[in-house]
Amino acid sequence: MTSSPGRRIVRFLGSAALATWLLVFVGVWSIVGSLVPQSVASESAVKTWETAHPFFAPIARFLGLHQAFSAPIFLACVVVLGDSTAICAWQRTKLAFGRARRLAEAARADRLHVVEHHDFEIATDASLGEDEVLSIAEKTLATLNVKTRPRDGVLRAVSSAWSVWGSPIFHWALFGLLVALIVGNLGRSEGLMGVAVGQTKPDAPASYGKITTGPLRGWSSVNRSIRVDRFEPDYMSGGIDRGPTPTVTVLDGSGKVIKSQRVYPNATLKSGTLTIYPSDYGLATDVTLISPSGGKVWQGPLLVDFATETTSGTRPVDYLDNTDASTNQSYRIYVSVPLDRVNGAAVNQLPKNPTAQVDVVGSDGTLAYSKVVSPGETVSLPGGGALQLDNVNYYARLSVVDDWSIPLLLVGLVVAMVGLTIAVVARQQIILLAVVDGPDGTSLAATVRLWRNAASSRGEIESELTRALTGGEKESTG
Amino acid sequence: MTLEIVLMWVALTFYAAATALYASGVTFSKDAVTKWALYASAVGLAFQVVSLGVRWARLGHGPYLGFYEVTNALVLCVVAFFVIVALRNPRLNPAGIGVMPVAVLLLGGSMLSSKAGVEITAKLASYWLFIHVAFANLAFAAFAVSFGCAIVYVVRERSKGGKWAKRFEKLPAQDVLENLTVRFVLLGFLFWAIMIATGAIWANEAWGHYWSWDPIETWSLIVWLIYAVYLHVRFTLKWHGERLAWFAIIAMPMALFALIGIPLAFNTPHAGIGGLGKDL
Repeated sequence: MTSSPGRRIVRFLGSAALATWLLVFVGVWSIVGSLVPQSVASESAVKTWETAHPFFAPIARFLGLHQAFSAPIFLACVVVLGDSTAICAWQRTKLAFGRARRLAEAARADRLHVVEHHDFEIATDASLGEDEVLSIAEKTLATLNVKTRPRDGVLRAVSSAWSVWGSPIFHWALFGLLVALIVGNLGRSEGLMGVAVGQTKPDAPASYGKITTGPLRGWSSVNRSIRVDRFEPDYMSGGIDRGPTPTVTVLDGSGKVIKSQRVYPNATLKSGTLTIYPSDYGLATDVTLISPSGGKVWQGPLLVDFATETTSGTRPVDYLDNTDASTNQSYRIYVSVPLDRVNGAAVNQLPKNPTAQVDVVGSDGTLAYSKVVSPGETVSLPGGGALQLDNVNYYARLSVVDDWSIPLLLVGLVVAMVGLTIAVVARQQIILLAVVDGPDGTSLAATVRLWRNAASSRGEIESELTRALTGGEKESTG
Repeated sequence: MTLEIVLMWVALTFYAAATALYASGVTFSKDAVTKWALYASAVGLAFQVVSLGVRWARLGHGPYLGFYEVTNALVLCVVAFFVIVALRNPRLNPAGIGVMPVAVLLLGGSMLSSKAGVEITAKLASYWLFIHVAFANLAFAAFAVSFGCAIVYVVRERSKGGKWAKRFEKLPAQDVLENLTVRFVLLGFLFWAIMIATGAIWANEAWGHYWSWDPIETWSLIVWLIYAVYLHVRFTLKWHGERLAWFAIIAMPMALFALIGIPLAFNTPHAGIGGLGKDL
């Protein structure tokens, strides 16, 4: 009899060997991925590694090992593993139904049923009565950690029907987790947003310095903004230094506060599907660009990061482009903040008397001039106009994650753990013992099904019962 | 030398004595000696508990941070788990010949490392730390006992028919021993899964990412996959016997490497916990 291609595919995907090899592949791939530098973590580390390993570099590039956990080959394996898990879960569900039915039948079985349908029979010592045989059997099984109960002339140890559902629940939950992970990533956005103290930024792609979004991520329904109200460089709480701590506020489209709190490790701001965490911090210079006629051209914060490699101790994140109206030459304005120093080392904090260093760089990259100004002072710009330093403060680089699938993932994890706990802890067994009176004497009829987590084995149960009921290692019939 | 260190040396001495007693008890087939080995393990455990209790009171946090504490907690869980198992099922007591040397080597290694206290940092200040680390320790304890059972299985299998065969007579039958190995692996697999799950939940709480593929996360997953393969080959491909036991023997050091090797070798967000004491 031939099977259809669909059935063959399902059989292939549901095979234990495929599942095992996929697990092996994902494991080996992960080992290699942990040993090879990942470009997500550090591009420079990847370049250094490639220089040091010229033979392996092209292979690693070809296989996508520097993006090991987003490489097509890895993702394809995870998808196939997901399919395999679903089919496996389905097979286990069918098996569980069958076992649950047999457990229910075993729970109802009477003496006659055991006598007619048993696996093996042990001839007992002729001097033993029925009650004695069952009593000895009960004690013998207790020594093997098998607890039995007598009912209707049958000594029984039958697991509850729910005991068989652990494995199917676990596998379905794993499949659900994989689906939630994949679908969640399609609609997820994750980015870094630099927000100066007092500044409000709309939650939109343009507000992020770096952002990763899934292909199904839509921004049209997102109508909120994020504000940093305050920044405490050394916030203490519960006797622990929580580190640089911004107070972050999420506002809705009308400017109404949705949620506001201090944000630090283990105290992320959660608002609906949004999670905000302080990834880093730096300084922000509030500046005003003034036109030659004296009007405000632009006003806002320019962000500055701490940088040990520079003489000032900081480097600009943002810049302003402007044009010299008289020559029509464009130039770029960079602002950094000279830090206070202790024993020659820059202190990554707002200086006691903050100033800003304004560098004007021509279109050819040459430094036109550089000037240090204090808040309230201005710098004249080429062709007229000026840049005024209004204030220097902190900015918080916020990690903003919007992922609706996280609660689903958490539920999936809990369900998976419950299923796995049942699968690991609950015994799946049927042990039925009844005394049979025959022409050759009394014997003990036994039905033994040990599917999972049994305290003993069928061989040991048979051997121990034989030893106890006959006083020696006699052969039983089965 | 402070009281806690003296107590720890005493604990190590008892564990070493237990190892020697297990070796001689099994070698010369003396039940009484293996029983004394179990008592020595239990006494050593008591000293270790007191030592870590003193340290806990002094530092204000449990044994979660730095190589010394992490390794100590692992050993504590391994020995406690084994002592409970052996007391409940005395026939498994000889498996101590596989378990106690692991405890001695790990505790000995930790005694040679820095014992300086590591302060709780903002990123670690969470009740999830206790839950996450507790399940890591429990998982490793279960894997270590499965390792011990597998070692005994292999030794007995290899001595079948030889003069050593008699010495293992009182152990459970090979199929029962194999079944127990699988059950301890299952238990470890569950605890390891809970460790990963609680870690993911905590990571999401702590820094807004439930998974970052940092080396220790990746290796936790790798170990879980290794044991998943073990369970698949056992339950679906019906592997039995010596090769299955060898699988359990080889898998346990991988778990150990993930727990204390990776934080030492890589600069990960977990480095402050098991490795070089770096801040996160």
